[in-house]
Amino acid sequence: MKFLIPFFVVASLVVPVLGQAKTAPKPGDDIEFLRKSALEIDRQIATFYRAKKLSVPELTDDATFLRRAFLVVIGRIPTAEEALAFIEIEDEAKREELVGYLMGSRGYSSHMTNWAFDLLRLRDGRQGSQATNEPYRNWIRKAMDENMPWDDFVTSLVASSGNGWDPETASVGYYTIDRGMPLDNLSNTMRIFLGTRMECAQCHDDPFGKTERKDFYELAAFTNGQYQQNEQHMRPLWREYQDDQRNRAEEYRVAQLFWDRIYGMSLRGGGKGRIELPSDYQYRDGKPGEILGGRTPFGKTVRLSDRKDSDDGREKFADWIVTRTGEQFAAVIANRMWQRIMGKGLYEPVDDYIEAKQTVHPALMSQLAKLMHDLDYDIRAFQHTLMLTRTFQFATNPNASTLEVGDDFHGRKIARLSSEQIWDSLITLSSGDPDKKPVRTADNRIFVGGRPVLVGQMDMIQLSEDVLALDSEAEVRKYFNGFLAMVKSGGGKKGAGSMSMGMAPVRQYGKDSPVRASELPSPAPREHFLYLFGASDREVVDGASKEPNVGQVLSMMNGYVQRQLVENSGAHVYKSLEGAGSDGEKIRRIYLAILNRPPSDKEMGWMKEEIAARGEQGFRNIVASLVMSSEFLFLQ
Amino acid sequence: MKDLLNKADEPTRRQFMQNAARAYLGVHLFPMLGSSIASAAVEGAAKGAKAKHVIYLFMAGGMSHLDTFDPKPKKKDVMGPAVAIPTKADGVEISGYLPKTAEVTDKMCIINSLNSTQGAHEQGSYIMHTSYTQRGTIKHPALGSWVMKLGGRLHPELPGFVAVNTSPEYTSGGFFGAKYSAAPIGRPEQGLQDSHRPDGVSPEDFTRRLSLADKLNTQFHNRYPNTDVKAYEELYREAIALMNSKDLKAFDISGEDSQTRALYGGGNFAQGCLLARRLVEHGVRFVEVQLGGWDTHYDNFTGVEGRCREFDQAYAALLIDLEKRGKLQDTLVVVATEFGRTPEIKAQHNDGRDHHPGAFSCVLAGGGVKGGMKYGETDASGNKVRKDMISVQDFNATIAYALGLPHDLILMSPTKRPFKIADKGAPVTSIFG
Repeated sequence: MKFLIPFFVVASLVVPVLGQAKTAPKPGDDIEFLRKSALEIDRQIATFYRAKKLSVPELTDDATFLRRAFLVVIGRIPTAEEALAFIEIEDEAKREELVGYLMGSRGYSSHMTNWAFDLLRLRDGRQGSQATNEPYRNWIRKAMDENMPWDDFVTSLVASSGNGWDPETASVGYYTIDRGMPLDNLSNTMRIFLGTRMECAQCHDDPFGKTERKDFYELAAFTNGQYQQNEQHMRPLWREYQDDQRNRAEEYRVAQLFWDRIYGMSLRGGGKGRIELPSDYQYRDGKPGEILGGRTPFGKTVRLSDRKDSDDGREKFADWIVTRTGEQFAAVIANRMWQRIMGKGLYEPVDDYIEAKQTVHPALMSQLAKLMHDLDYDIRAFQHTLMLTRTFQFATNPNASTLEVGDDFHGRKIARLSSEQIWDSLITLSSGDPDKKPVRTADNRIFVGGRPVLVGQMDMIQLSEDVLALDSEAEVRKYFNGFLAMVKSGGGKKGAGSMSMGMAPVRQYGKDSPVRASELPSPAPREHFLYLFGASDREVVDGASKEPNVGQVLSMMNGYVQRQLVENSGAHVYKSLEGAGSDGEKIRRIYLAILNRPPSDKEMGWMKEEIAARGEQGFRNIVASLVMSSEFLFLQ
Repeated sequence: MKDLLNKADEPTRRQFMQNAARAYLGVHLFPMLGSSIASAAVEGAAKGAKAKHVIYLFMAGGMSHLDTFDPKPKKKDVMGPAVAIPTKADGVEISGYLPKTAEVTDKMCIINSLNSTQGAHEQGSYIMHTSYTQRGTIKHPALGSWVMKLGGRLHPELPGFVAVNTSPEYTSGGFFGAKYSAAPIGRPEQGLQDSHRPDGVSPEDFTRRLSLADKLNTQFHNRYPNTDVKAYEELYREAIALMNSKDLKAFDISGEDSQTRALYGGGNFAQGCLLARRLVEHGVRFVEVQLGGWDTHYDNFTGVEGRCREFDQAYAALLIDLEKRGKLQDTLVVVATEFGRTPEIKAQHNDGRDHHPGAFSCVLAGGGVKGGMKYGETDASGNKVRKDMISVQDFNATIAYALGLPHDLILMSPTKRPFKIADKGAPVTSIFG
């Protein structure tokens, strides 16, 4: 198995290389800088232990490290082959090499994608509309694949504008998924990027005195005035077909395509910078209907005029979030990343920001915010740094944190895996390394009444560009009629259009496909394994749950796990037994594949008894029992 | 009643009896005193309490009170295209989107005076389900968990709390632990998924697997004596009891005749209501069924009409069916939501309505509640509560009251903080017959 060593080593070099495409080397690409930063974090933790007169936790063993690192960074357990290679290598640098391998692997961005989807409430479809969030979904995925710096990511969302189908501007989905509720969208923006909770101030002054309703409206002025591009030109035609949908069903479906899937997915209005107080405004400092100019509630104040509309309110808002809120923007994402890697945030909940000086470890909090800033918001390099610390390698502490509000820094807390981690691990066992499977691709085909039309001639990107550029009602009618005729006649000759070249086949995965959770429809349907184990329904921010329930246990004993894995002779876990000389070796390989450690002598005894009693069937029973064990479900 | 108490948690039961004695006999009861006094107290408490089960229908997203149970026919600007229709109850009008519900209004008590402090979905749904404001430091148990904790299970093997199509966040056992969280159902027609031994696995092998897993788990739990780890161990025991239960068929709605199925109509929600009825018949205490999609910021009237189509037939069928089977008297059927919607219709959002926690409607039926009545009133445009305002906590206290559970009993969380089923809420008792 020594042949796998170079695999890890080479991969660890991939990370720096990937980023070097552009001009000057970035600090995140400099492994020395990451090592040094990791050391500084460990020093802070050591100082903390000395001050509290606590003993420093021991470092965990290789097997625990391996499993922990895989699950934390790429969201799945290692394959039996990966586990064996790591455990058998004797090399002092192997932990660091493994980390490099994981940070550079495709699994990293798959795992980050789940995180981003939970944060941004990414649902594929929209209720009551034919609009799709698919292009937005792909935009997020690409941003994670390319490791877009966090400040650029946030700016691209908050200041987005344009066509929802254009891969460059598909980040408008950030607003269009919340069509009709711009104020809720704004509350979420403050919550997820700055850890500032303003939901209450939407309707009334915060009783704890932090935010007043007026503050909220002054902030809402920045994002006020969003609309669908050129929608007014389509409106009369849309009304006509809506009123006559029974008689002109096909026309109506095409109109719906334009209205919902083209106009409905576009965004214009860069932010007026001013807003009216609502009709139920109840305080003395303003009157219903009064116009307020934009004003940011904290940080370096940015003000906008209440006299005239501007068109760049959202750009200014994005700039304020990213550069004018002091340490807050960096600290919030740093703490979120700390939680991802270490299991607990420095403060929790992570979407309720507290200043560094009020946290349990002020110096560390500030240092992490600074590191995030120094790394130019390279969140992969930031996580890479945390992965290089001794702190990450601390042995497991079985007790709950002594603090209700965050990390007590005393060893890794045992925690159930997320639903996606369980799923991704199970499919690794059933069908091998899932990161070798092709990823889903964008589906830009034009659908009318659920059927793809004009395939090979035109796609949604082209159609939406054409339609959004139409500048009068007459132009819309003309284009619409022309398009309708094309659809009715089944399109021109195949291959005639300029789009016929270079159109990649569409690859999408159904809900039961044995692929990464990040590749599956979002959200998981309610009867799905993922939902049962607590995957977010993506209606609310970070809505995932790790709560146990009886349905999960039934599923492990009788359901998906049994069908796809235990009773599936073709499962990867059984294939990895080929060539094993003895029952003992087979048992050892099963252990490595499922729990990523060799069995203890006592366990080997139990399992050999099982084989003695049940023969070949015994191996299935062993696989079933290991997967049903708590050790499989929990991260140590 | 006695049987009910025997199923309750031992310590809780004792607390409950002490509390009941205090509340209803005006005596202080020491734990060492004989049980005869305690049971007498419970009998007394039970007099007003007819309900044994709850079917809790949650309209997720914020159901427009104006377009369902609190129409304002005199105000055209509030009504938009919606109309009000007369119902089987004298003087009670509801929205024209609910024609079948109008036929069963004689069994319903429509509460039009709810008021919530929370205007966002997450917080609003949380407080409805738990009576407490969402906090970062504690997870409060859901109403169904409280009912199980205070009242106990009615059936030893079936779960006490089942949730159809809901979010785990709002049906969690909270600090009571996983034992009290809901058994989740994704698709009602599939029943409780995976409740049978897999095909091709012999009883012997099944048992061997469990016993091997049990050995591994014991070892793991000894190393990590952690409550979350422990919870799974308990759930395995529970799951096996459930698999072996002769009443597992309670989850299978294919056992219903075609006439009954037709009564409820199609769709996930309708099937959920039918399943809920089966479950309470078999002794499940609390069933929640969710119907989503009420967040009608955009194009409110199309949205509400569509939701009402899902709701109307199923709800009316549920009340009729329960009554026919003699179960309506001991089953409280609740229709709840996280808030209402604004009287103002937003033209720029294609006639949308925004969130409105200041005034909204919920409905109670069965379980001893008087039918054919309205409780509470909003002003002419449905903006504010004008009469008999009740808070979310009062509403939950009323549910507890219907079940004869002590709404003022304090239970301590593991972090030693005091909590009650309905926080500081007080029940509305005048709606009970």
